[in-house]
Amino acid sequence: MRTYDLCDLVCPLSKMKATEVIDSLNEGETIKIVLGDTDSLKSVAQELRSRGIKPGFEQESESKFVLTLTR
Amino acid sequence: MSQNKSLEKGTRGKGADHRLRVYSDITQLIASPDNPTPLVRLNRINPSDDFLIYLKLERYNPFGSVKDRIVYQMLKELEIGERTVVEPSSGNTGIALACVANALGIPVEVAVPEGIPNEKKVMLRLLGTKIWEVEDALCPRFPSEGARGLVNALIKSPATRNRYISPNQYENELNVLAHYRTTGPEIWRQTRGRVSHFFAGFGTCGTISGVGRYLKEQNPHIKIIGVEPSSPDHKLPGMKRITGLGDEYVPTILDRAVIDDIVEITDEDAYRTAFELARKDGIPVGPTTGAILHVALKYTASDTGLAVVISPDDAFKYASFYQDFVEAEAQKGQGGNK
Repeated sequence: MRTYDLCDLVCPLSKMKATEVIDSLNEGETIKIVLGDTDSLKSVAQELRSRGIKPGFEQESESKFVLTLTR
Repeated sequence: MSQNKSLEKGTRGKGADHRLRVYSDITQLIASPDNPTPLVRLNRINPSDDFLIYLKLERYNPFGSVKDRIVYQMLKELEIGERTVVEPSSGNTGIALACVANALGIPVEVAVPEGIPNEKKVMLRLLGTKIWEVEDALCPRFPSEGARGLVNALIKSPATRNRYISPNQYENELNVLAHYRTTGPEIWRQTRGRVSHFFAGFGTCGTISGVGRYLKEQNPHIKIIGVEPSSPDHKLPGMKRITGLGDEYVPTILDRAVIDDIVEITDEDAYRTAFELARKDGIPVGPTTGAILHVALKYTASDTGLAVVISPDDAFKYASFYQDFVEAEAQKGQGGNK
């Protein structure tokens, strides 16, 4: 499973990059997206909701949020 | 070559011969008290002899808008080094930034809201500027200003922060200073101190704060009136509704102490007034000028004196915005000179 670490991007750059990644996924492909702040988490989660994707969520630390998703 | 050395070569205003209009570079044309933008009296849309209204036509700056003044001032002071300049803009700042930066050899990128007129986007591309076209609701930290949010992210993200620098017109006191040093003194001199009212829109708030501060220092009785859209969702590019806005989103450079009154305007009234001005006085302006002028015209009923209305730019960048209104008029069988 590929992991995209977007912790060095602040929202909305993180959301833009995440959107790019999601757009490039093949049907059925699963990936992890790692985000570094709550604004990024909110906006990426919102993007996923709007696409009908329900991600798995794990908070690894105060500033590390992992979303696992399948397109 | 450093950016500051380039600007020294420009030496705007110094040695420029405004009488013969011969210049060593394009930035020397940016307005200053020695080379003011015109002040033009409105005779037909405002027939009152008791409350004279003059338009300050900022379109006569070399890049076509009031933003030319602040961009030069801000770039002059910025330590750019090898970085790229990036700024959010609804168009005019971006165009001014691209032109000044091109003249000085500085790379520039502009974040624009999705809804700006196509003409402005084409112009930015013509100038070779990279455009980040951003939806307004892109980030919860800047709920209605995605372009500001994006620039904030480029400046703060560890992955990009060493590559970008922003003049940040919303927080940069040089925005205010540009108007305090140039627009304010021009108006005072051009009206021979007779100005009694000054009208401007809220956007970055640099114009109203800088001009307001200068004029109040000359005569504290001068009224400074700010104009804002009646709704946060509007079609007045460059304008911002301040009322009800959270403190964190109000430009930090806004000097509320110099403002006597804040008046709301609808898109409909703004566009209608812009059309009326073009048809009665022959001056094609952008919708923001229509907005500010509409408010000034209301004062003719109650006040006397000499009003100056800032006209940030002209009509030509807004053809696609005006098209809907023109077509609506045509369908109703309206339009033409009245």
